[in-house]
Amino acid sequence: MDTLDTIVNKALSRRNFLAGAGAVAATATLAGCSNGNVTTPTTTSNGLYTDADVLNFALNLEYLEAEFYLRAATGSGLQASDTTAGSASPYQTVGSVTVGYAAQVPVTATSPSNQQQILNEIAYEEQQHVRFLRSALGTAAIPRPAIDLSFFGPLAVAAGIYTSAQAAFNPFASFDAFLIGAFIFEDVGVTAYSGAAPLISAAGVTAGYLTAAAGILAVEAYHAGYIRTSITGRGITNGSNTYIAIANQVAALRATLTVGNSAAPSSTGSVETNLVLPTSTVTPSAIVAADPTNAVGFARTVNQVHHIVYGSPTVGVKSGGFFPSGTNSIFATTTA
Amino acid sequence: MANQETQLVDDILIRGRRKLLTMGATSLAGMVLGAALPETAHAATTYTDNDILNFALNLEYLEANFYYQAAFGTTIDVANAASTAAGAPLITLNQTVGTKGAVTGGSKVPFTTVTVGSYAVETAVEEGKHVRILQTALGSLAVAQPAINISASVGGAWPTLATAAGVAGGATFSPYASDANFLVGAYVFEDVGVTAYHGAASLITSSSNLATAAGILAVEAYHAGLIRTTISYLDPANASGYLTITGQISALRAKLALAALLGVSGGTYDANPDDFGLASVNVSLAGGASVSSTRITDADATNVIAFSRNTTQVLNIVTGGGAVNVAGTATVSPATGVFFPAGLNGLFK
Repeated sequence: MDTLDTIVNKALSRRNFLAGAGAVAATATLAGCSNGNVTTPTTTSNGLYTDADVLNFALNLEYLEAEFYLRAATGSGLQASDTTAGSASPYQTVGSVTVGYAAQVPVTATSPSNQQQILNEIAYEEQQHVRFLRSALGTAAIPRPAIDLSFFGPLAVAAGIYTSAQAAFNPFASFDAFLIGAFIFEDVGVTAYSGAAPLISAAGVTAGYLTAAAGILAVEAYHAGYIRTSITGRGITNGSNTYIAIANQVAALRATLTVGNSAAPSSTGSVETNLVLPTSTVTPSAIVAADPTNAVGFARTVNQVHHIVYGSPTVGVKSGGFFPSGTNSIFATTTA
Repeated sequence: MANQETQLVDDILIRGRRKLLTMGATSLAGMVLGAALPETAHAATTYTDNDILNFALNLEYLEANFYYQAAFGTTIDVANAASTAAGAPLITLNQTVGTKGAVTGGSKVPFTTVTVGSYAVETAVEEGKHVRILQTALGSLAVAQPAINISASVGGAWPTLATAAGVAGGATFSPYASDANFLVGAYVFEDVGVTAYHGAASLITSSSNLATAAGILAVEAYHAGLIRTTISYLDPANASGYLTITGQISALRAKLALAALLGVSGGTYDANPDDFGLASVNVSLAGGASVSSTRITDADATNVIAFSRNTTQVLNIVTGGGAVNVAGTATVSPATGVFFPAGLNGLFK
């Protein structure tokens, strides 16, 4: 089915994606991850990763999001049966979750009336993404990696939101704090799926992986739209720029962690759109995160996403940040 | 991957392709004769990436004109002080592919809340940019803007659609009357944009086009999230009935989408709706007891993957049923009605 330029386009996209990723590529080849889904033999890069590797990369992120959102809604995380390893996965150890705070976002005087319902929705939807990906991957599903939600504290310090002398930033402390915590994840989720979609093989497209990934991408963007709308709307209601400014500090940190890496999606390397506080009915908001010229959403490579979730701009890092033992992924080591 | 949801999606895509294959030779011949197409190397298929992008361009013409009228009181090809101040692109409409039409109806919304007004301005600018990038990407192959009806007058698209959805007072419904009504109007479009780009993603062959489509899909879903979140905050317990209205609109869209599938297949398919309003639902978290949840995200309840629609389904929605015959047994092309009184331009119509 593939026409020549389709194959060339795919090869080009993979080559860009893998630029400077020699170490990872070698690891992947040794891992022998060829489950038959990648079937375009005319390109040499096909042996580097499989569709299962791409979906498992996404599953790492969904585990992280689900553990965060479930705790925000209920105080506890995924049920054990949603965290286990598939029998064929090279990763067999279920990681533990470090929380570091009293989880579950309290209802306060400034809470929206439907706060708990909103928390329940996002928690449910990320939980179901975990279940969907695990089901789609079957025996290849990775187990939950070790997750450290207390990394929100150092991250907030790195972003300049808090000083290390203050009490650590707690994303469960209030609804506003929760929105900031969610903001850290959601735009990243959107860009991660955008970046991963073109990695899926032609056979994977036929198998429905691409449309599933695109559908999850849309849901992540619904969530991101929700989070950014809420932060902006509460700012307008309160006449306060406080949380908008904090969110923008987070965005600036994300940009710092990935600027300078290869395959930056825009010429400046920034894939962030700062929130603004609209002052009248005729000044635009900035809910959508997209490039300012064409209003097309951003993409990040798997490598750029790893820099962010590890909280490190350094090349060759295998773990850190939200993933103290690394992601369970062939893409786990950061590259340039 | 033999799970139910993806199976359904696959079926939808397959049916979409079958529809294309049975479209008849005339439109295909017209397309091939139209011009030297840079991306028609995919000769084995019955459509090119450009056809898919042109289908999207028709929808963006519609969305952009609606938002430009609501936010600025003008159409996309006529600048005024408001559109200029906001930095909205001025769109050139000199395309010659298809039949160029005029925009009927629309007026500036007298926004009273900063929240909704600023959202309208942002969305208008972004939809204008989508028109521009698709026109640019397609170059001389870009379709002309078709005739578009976004009128709230008697017999106009909005009262017709609101009446069909069963909205109370639908015969006089205007999305330009108030902040809340504007949100309802935007609600009509945004989730449809998500499903249309989602459906198109798997049909695209070039990875650069796929990246663009995925990026626009994301933006449409940001918009949809914005609109649904704002309505949810505006009327969280349905005291003003807006959650009911969203349910009515979603039900109409699901009905029209299903009718398009039946028109293609001639048989029963799936009674489950592919669209949900904002009424709360019950969910189970980590195996716990059922708890109440909002429904900001428009997605299937089990896998929480956004819905996908093929071009015939989208056509049937934006033409208010014009893509399926009265008996509901066959598709009609070109589809006309509601927002597109003379149909769309391009291969998919």
